[in-house]
Amino acid sequence: MTDVTLQNVRKEFDGVVAVKNIDLQIPDGAFVTVVGPSGCGKSTTLRLIAGLERATDGTIQMGNEDVTAVEPKDRDVAMVFQNYALYPHMTARRNITFGMKSAGDFSDEEIDRQVREATAVLDIDDLLDRKPGELSGGERQRVALGRALVRDPEVFLMDEPLSNLDAKLRIKMRAELAKLHSEFETTTIYVTHDQTEALTLGDRVVVMNDGRIQQVDSPQRLYDYPETRFVAEFIGDPAMNMLAVDISSDGTEYEAVGPTFRIPLPEGDGLETVAGGQALLGVRPESLSVADSADRSSFAAEVTVTEPLGDSLLLECRTGDQEFKLHAEPRTAVEPGDRVALTVETERLHLFDPQTGAAIYHAAAAQPPEETGPIDSTL
Amino acid sequence: MTSERIRRFETEQLTLHVLAATVAFLIVLPVVIAALVSTKRAGIVTSIGDLAPGGHALSNYRRALIGLEFWRYMLNSFVMSVAVVVGKLIVSLLAALVIVYYRFPYKNAVFLFILFTLLLPVPVRFVPLYRLTTELGMGNTIFAITVPYLASATTVFILRQHFLSIPASLVETAKVDGVGPLRFLWSVLVPMSRAVLVGVSVIMFVYTWNQYLWPLVIINAESLQVAQVGLNLLRGQASTGEVAWSMVMTGSILTLLPPLALLVLFRRQLLETFTIQQK
Repeated sequence: MTDVTLQNVRKEFDGVVAVKNIDLQIPDGAFVTVVGPSGCGKSTTLRLIAGLERATDGTIQMGNEDVTAVEPKDRDVAMVFQNYALYPHMTARRNITFGMKSAGDFSDEEIDRQVREATAVLDIDDLLDRKPGELSGGERQRVALGRALVRDPEVFLMDEPLSNLDAKLRIKMRAELAKLHSEFETTTIYVTHDQTEALTLGDRVVVMNDGRIQQVDSPQRLYDYPETRFVAEFIGDPAMNMLAVDISSDGTEYEAVGPTFRIPLPEGDGLETVAGGQALLGVRPESLSVADSADRSSFAAEVTVTEPLGDSLLLECRTGDQEFKLHAEPRTAVEPGDRVALTVETERLHLFDPQTGAAIYHAAAAQPPEETGPIDSTL
Repeated sequence: MTSERIRRFETEQLTLHVLAATVAFLIVLPVVIAALVSTKRAGIVTSIGDLAPGGHALSNYRRALIGLEFWRYMLNSFVMSVAVVVGKLIVSLLAALVIVYYRFPYKNAVFLFILFTLLLPVPVRFVPLYRLTTELGMGNTIFAITVPYLASATTVFILRQHFLSIPASLVETAKVDGVGPLRFLWSVLVPMSRAVLVGVSVIMFVYTWNQYLWPLVIINAESLQVAQVGLNLLRGQASTGEVAWSMVMTGSILTLLPPLALLVLFRRQLLETFTIQQK
């Protein structure tokens, strides 16, 4: 176990900048997930930490050691790949032991003991004499995890390890990964494009876009207090709605004014700065609901599409020229073309700068508590 | 299917088979004639009737192999071919390993340069190669007919293409786990390339086995000569002044056998090598 620190790390490939001067601190024993759209630099960041890519600029530290120029094999990390990277001609057992034996850092008894322990934890004792071709996807990923576990590394690096599994197996393996981490408490850096994986697994989630870190936070805070429009729209499914509004103020009270609605904004930091100007109003689909009776903050919209999801009814609506989505109560009797009155849960509104995308204001009644140290890593 | 479509299908199949059979017949014909002539005493063919199998097969082959010591040429060819195959495999595996898995400046230029050597016909290199070989004191030795063949752009190219089709995550896992490059080559790449290695070995063996001009130029001692050149010597042994065609054909058939056996044995791997994934 060790902590990992990236300082001003930059990576260029033939003039294309994949990672743009990022700083990241990963506390000892944490499970950190890195999430972002494809091409955002998350895999490159992981490969930089693994040593498979050499940073163009900046430093990477593990513990107190600067490992920026250290070979992968000397970093004491183990990596799990999306395609499992098992050697097809070797049995599961040999796959697991091959690296250990080659590195020569382990005695035979040590290897035997580690393999016994790891395979018992992963429940793959019976599969050890089979080759990867004779294993299912889930079993292969377990073997790949076993190979990483037996080396008892300082840091686990996982590059979309569950992406090749079917949905059901993915959820099962996700839970097992969480369990494994609580058991071994090894620092884990987990790259994924799947926000559900990122939020459920990570004590701390790193959101990346376009080579930059957008935000590093606990899953709930990421959802409740997105620092940029990108994070707001990336985390959450369906994405947070963005409505162009003017912010009007009579000195004490503030309102978000659109062509067809006026929504009062609870008092909070940042409102004064934007009063009289334009902003993007961020509203999560679950913060909107179909109103029984019109009140001050309700407004009318036309339903364009209905998608029954079972536990809720997803409505796509239009007001003026702005479109948005909301989760309505299931079995609500609405059809496309209907006009409905909508109310907003005003405590869960956000304002973003239309140009920079930076968050200006979060309406949440309780202001975000300042984080002090590394958060508790137990899951 | 309607009966008309079945009929059309059958006609197509029939045409295809007739065509394939014709082509196969044309290709095999000279070999069959050679085999027939090798069973005759004199081997002069002037009419179709002369192509009937003769009764001297056993004595012809015995005379060629033992009497005229053709076994020695075949043995020399075999030693040369095996040495070249093994040497080429080692050199090409290392070259492909470096070209695919190492980062070094002008890597693509180096690979292009290797490919470029394919553009130089071997005879163009004969004069400098002859000087080099003799000055190194390798003239008239087994080294003269093996060492110049060890570098092979074709093999490097085929292995490179194959290595590129192996997922990069395998080598990355090995790097992270501390598996050294030679161990990776031996324990991962070679076992994973078995079919391709067998395929290229067969190609290289046949290529080396068929070498004629260079051994003829560089080897003076008859006892060191190879089978392809030895064939010519068989003809020269005809003391009557006439060409002993049946002996030449006997030698030809003997020379044909080792490559043929390899092709039959390893045809599956050979096909796999030629259909290698492009990248």
